[in-house]
Amino acid sequence: MSKDDEYDFLFKVVLIGDSGVGKSNLLSRFTRNEFNLESKSTIGVEFATRSIQVDNKIIKAQIWDTAGQERYRAITSAYYRGAVGALLVYDIAKHVTYENVNRWLKELRDHADNNIVIMLVGNKSDLRHLRAVPTEDAKQFAEENHLSFIETSALDASNVELAFQNILTEIYRIVSRKALDTSSDVIKPTDGQKITVSPNQEDANKGGKCC
Amino acid sequence: MTDTKTARDLLDMNTKMSRFEKFRRVLSEPNVDMRELRKLSWSGIPEELRPMAWQLLMGYLPCNSERREQTLARKRKEYAECVAQAFARGEAGLDQTIWHQIHIDVPRTHPHIQLYQQTATQEALERILYCWAIRHPASGYVQGINDLLTPFFQVFLSSYVSVDTDLEEFDIGELPEEVLTVIEADSFWCMTKLLDGIQDNYTHGQPGIQRQIGRLRELIGRIDAPLAQHLESESVEYIQFSFRWMNCLLMRELSLRNVVRMWDTYLAEESDGFSDFHVYVCAAFLIKWSATLRKMDFQDMITFLQSVPTATWTDRDVEMLLSEAFMWKTLFHNAPGHLAHRK
Repeated sequence: MSKDDEYDFLFKVVLIGDSGVGKSNLLSRFTRNEFNLESKSTIGVEFATRSIQVDNKIIKAQIWDTAGQERYRAITSAYYRGAVGALLVYDIAKHVTYENVNRWLKELRDHADNNIVIMLVGNKSDLRHLRAVPTEDAKQFAEENHLSFIETSALDASNVELAFQNILTEIYRIVSRKALDTSSDVIKPTDGQKITVSPNQEDANKGGKCC
Repeated sequence: MTDTKTARDLLDMNTKMSRFEKFRRVLSEPNVDMRELRKLSWSGIPEELRPMAWQLLMGYLPCNSERREQTLARKRKEYAECVAQAFARGEAGLDQTIWHQIHIDVPRTHPHIQLYQQTATQEALERILYCWAIRHPASGYVQGINDLLTPFFQVFLSSYVSVDTDLEEFDIGELPEEVLTVIEADSFWCMTKLLDGIQDNYTHGQPGIQRQIGRLRELIGRIDAPLAQHLESESVEYIQFSFRWMNCLLMRELSLRNVVRMWDTYLAEESDGFSDFHVYVCAAFLIKWSATLRKMDFQDMITFLQSVPTATWTDRDVEMLLSEAFMWKTLFHNAPGHLAHRK
């Protein structure tokens, strides 16, 4: 078993938002430190993982990137199962992608776990001269809807690391607080099969075989 | 050694020439025998004859040679009118939701092939996709349909350039405008015919794809039980990896060149090549990696399956895949009872 298969917590996080806002590039920037101006559109879902450290615990994020087009929602909602976090992404230079945030929130309310942690992400912050969504507006909207909020640029890498770090930490805090409250050994944040949030190391170490 | 190689090359060339002759004979009949053409096409169509063969197999070009000129003229005119009408009031007159989606997807179509990065190509693709979308409101434009258009575009383009041209590097600006218009119209109609046969892949809830995924799962259970069990024990769901296989007809998994060869066979498979037969191809494709997959856990399998190593695939690999699919189809297709009882 390789080193990066050892982890204390495994969290499933989904990336959602309108088509073309940069979800796939946020994922590739975070997991591979890559940005690709010429990437193909995502069909169905794509998947990547990365582990980070919080409070000396290794948290492995299993991130599912989804297709943004409306027609796919009937399918993609199936991928929300088991997700403990969602990055809801819009493009700061395309106001309509911000207007659609409400529809995505409804989508999550209808299909995801009630306790899912949601972070609103204004991507493409490098496009300063094209900004169509003021930071203050989005910030206020996030507060009113109890979401965390950040602006990122997958292109110049600003805040990408921080965005994932923040949401994973937030999920970790909730899960470890719950662990104290209920003092049960194994906490399943949702009914998903793949996500077993387990506070003790022995249980958590069943990672993958390496090929 | 050199002699053996030369001998083999000669043999290859002879086979090719004799196949070419057979095709030419069938295609030059005043009334093309479609059964004969299908039979020949299943094993691959010579490049030079592919544009004509595809148009016949798609039912776009009439079998009767006397009707061809008139039919093509009418169809091309009809498409030109559709474009003129749709774009009469410029971009502002377009359905903004549909147009926006097409407009952001076209530049993301084969981003690494030069031909598709040229403005003239992109504008042609946009017009085709937009006209198709407004004529098919039940599905509208769905991401991935852009991929399905390109084999037609590229094959029909090949009619108008010399055989040794690398189409992927071709400068579309070299074509006279009226030629591009013809390629565009023919691509539109053939894509329309293709999508007519698989329309429920793209309507609400994508029932065609859901059904195909279910069928793939069932087939794997019958053909490769150890793999099926392994996928299940690792909680891999078929929709997680095979949705794209169905939605884009494996175009994201194989090179465009491979796909063109594959479509020779799909087109030769009566009416169900792009639906039923495709599922058998997907089954053969998955089983190809069975030994590798069975050593992997959930995460490695999903990662592997979203970028399957086919970069070095040649026509031979595709032909092997198609033969395997044919074998499974022959075994299982008309024997659902046989399928059900084996479990």
